[in-house]
Amino acid sequence: MAKSVFEKVWDSHIVEELPGNNYLVFMDQIVAHEITTPQGAIEIDEKFGGNLYASERIIAINDHVSPAKDTATAIQAKVLRDWAKKHNVKIFDIGNNGICHVVAPERGYVQPGMTLCCGDSHTGTNGAFGAFALGIGTTAQAGAMLAQCLILNKPKTFKIQIDGKLPLYVYAKDVILAIIGKMTFRGATGYVLEYSGSTIESMSMEERMTMCNMSIEAGATSGMVSPDKTTVDYLWGKEVITKDKNEFEKLKNKWTSFATDKDSKYDKEITLDGNSLKPKVTWGTNPGEVIDIDGEIPSDADEKSLEYMGLKKGQKLYGLPMDQAFIGSCTNSRISDLREAAKILKGKKVSIPTIITPGSQAVKRQAEREGLHDIFQDAGVLWTHSSCGPCLGMSMGVVAPESRCISSTNRNFPGRMGTGSRPHLTSPAVVAASAIAGVITHPKDI
Amino acid sequence: MLISGKILPLDRSNIDTDQIIPARYLTGITKTGYGVHLLEDVPGTPINNPKYKDAAVLLTKENFGCGSSREHAVWAIMDKGFKAVIASSFARIFEENCYNNGLVPVKLKSEEVEKLFKQSNCEIDVINQVVKLESGEIFKFELDPLKKEFILKGGFLKYMESKVSLVKTWEKTAS
Ligand code: SF4
Repeated sequence: MAKSVFEKVWDSHIVEELPGNNYLVFMDQIVAHEITTPQGAIEIDEKFGGNLYASERIIAINDHVSPAKDTATAIQAKVLRDWAKKHNVKIFDIGNNGICHVVAPERGYVQPGMTLCCGDSHTGTNGAFGAFALGIGTTAQAGAMLAQCLILNKPKTFKIQIDGKLPLYVYAKDVILAIIGKMTFRGATGYVLEYSGSTIESMSMEERMTMCNMSIEAGATSGMVSPDKTTVDYLWGKEVITKDKNEFEKLKNKWTSFATDKDSKYDKEITLDGNSLKPKVTWGTNPGEVIDIDGEIPSDADEKSLEYMGLKKGQKLYGLPMDQAFIGSCTNSRISDLREAAKILKGKKVSIPTIITPGSQAVKRQAEREGLHDIFQDAGVLWTHSSCGPCLGMSMGVVAPESRCISSTNRNFPGRMGTGSRPHLTSPAVVAASAIAGVITHPKDI
Repeated sequence: MLISGKILPLDRSNIDTDQIIPARYLTGITKTGYGVHLLEDVPGTPINNPKYKDAAVLLTKENFGCGSSREHAVWAIMDKGFKAVIASSFARIFEENCYNNGLVPVKLKSEEVEKLFKQSNCEIDVINQVVKLESGEIFKFELDPLKKEFILKGGFLKYMESKVSLVKTWEKTAS
């Protein structure tokens, strides 16, 4: 029977069928960070003799507030650091770290056919590799550290077919925002999404990661892309991947065996035309409340969202004054995102406070080798080290109440980037253009 | 297991975990102490209204607990003294976190939720999976048969620990 990439990965990781629609599912890789891991790690140490099933299958990353901003966050980082050392868990820390969903793939920890979990809702990012990767809570993560498994309900499958060539200044971010806008903020609850079609096939791994990253924003358990030549080529040369050509060839065969079979069946399917998409910007308080950059806020817009955002039905976003601009987060902080922003910022000046935070220290170094940091700083941008920063309103550029921030991040919830903050989510290119103009602007108009 | 008490009504859908407990308070390494900041970023939050003091049941609409995976959301709700959350739907990770901590996730039909918004108290019989209104009206709800045990008796991590030898055997045959 024809199987999709999700079904292949799922079937090959079932340890036991449990009562209900529950399964004990083996996890190949666990990723831990300083905000959600300490409580579970401490519990295992105190009540279960510190017995981790396989410390070599865990990586730990200090990423959310790194370096620490105060004593409390310094303690969180120290707890993770000390725990990793005690249990011989590989840790990425100050100087060699970055956002977990950027670091794990760029080092080669995520491979086709794998299962991966992390106490972080954007773990689906890793599904871009044809892995089944999902976010979980602290206790479930502790369970995975004890038994290397999760108890999961079997998700249903949802195919999203996107064909066509994206117009100039339309990116993966616009495609995923269009999808979330279409499906609504909870439309994919209980499903694993598979992105396919010619638009996805021609995307780089970084673009696919942007797509999969925001699957959770439609409520999905995860998002995946079937592994192909792009996936294999990306993995060659990565830090933890073999450098031996013959060994790599074997891996490649294993990886591509997880590719979706022709005629695979899905519980649901939708299609989208890539040719006709426009840049997207959110107006509301969840990522599904989104319109085209030249569009108007719909007449049936949620009143509470409008009130929070200080906007009206029928209002245009184009030309709306911004107070701050931010490029960063696990959605859009990889090298290709920074290159797009640099193209627009080159030789220009920003007119509002603008922060660019690379997704990892490796991305930062690559950007600096290419001279992007000079373009940014010449334009008056603050170029920082890597961290989650203002994405979650914890540090490095928290947005003031009622201030608008044009942002390449993934969440515009009330209070997300700071109490009362008003984020407008969009692509790095639109952030860069709007940072120059000081109002929401299409990159073509710069 | 019977839960009875006052209802705190949160008349909105899509309350995400950032609104339940904002990230700026996620700086602890314990599971306690988050209750004081519960729901403080919800526009027009009812949390400090004395009318709802000591409420045991949080009542809301669709997609409750969406967004960030932070289990702190469940810890904050429990820390404030809530024993159950009634909603017409939950986000996946939040619902799992409820089971793993013993907070009862009660999923009802939208019409039933609407009726509850007119009540100030209710009783939840967890074992028999019913919500009783003061009028005597009864709403049935589903719980995951396996995870219900974690609510009633705790022991999720012990259960996982008990699977270790099975997993080791499976790993040998799978590779
Ligand atoms: S960048 Fe933002 S969304 Fe991504 S892991 Fe960090 S806080 Fe979460």
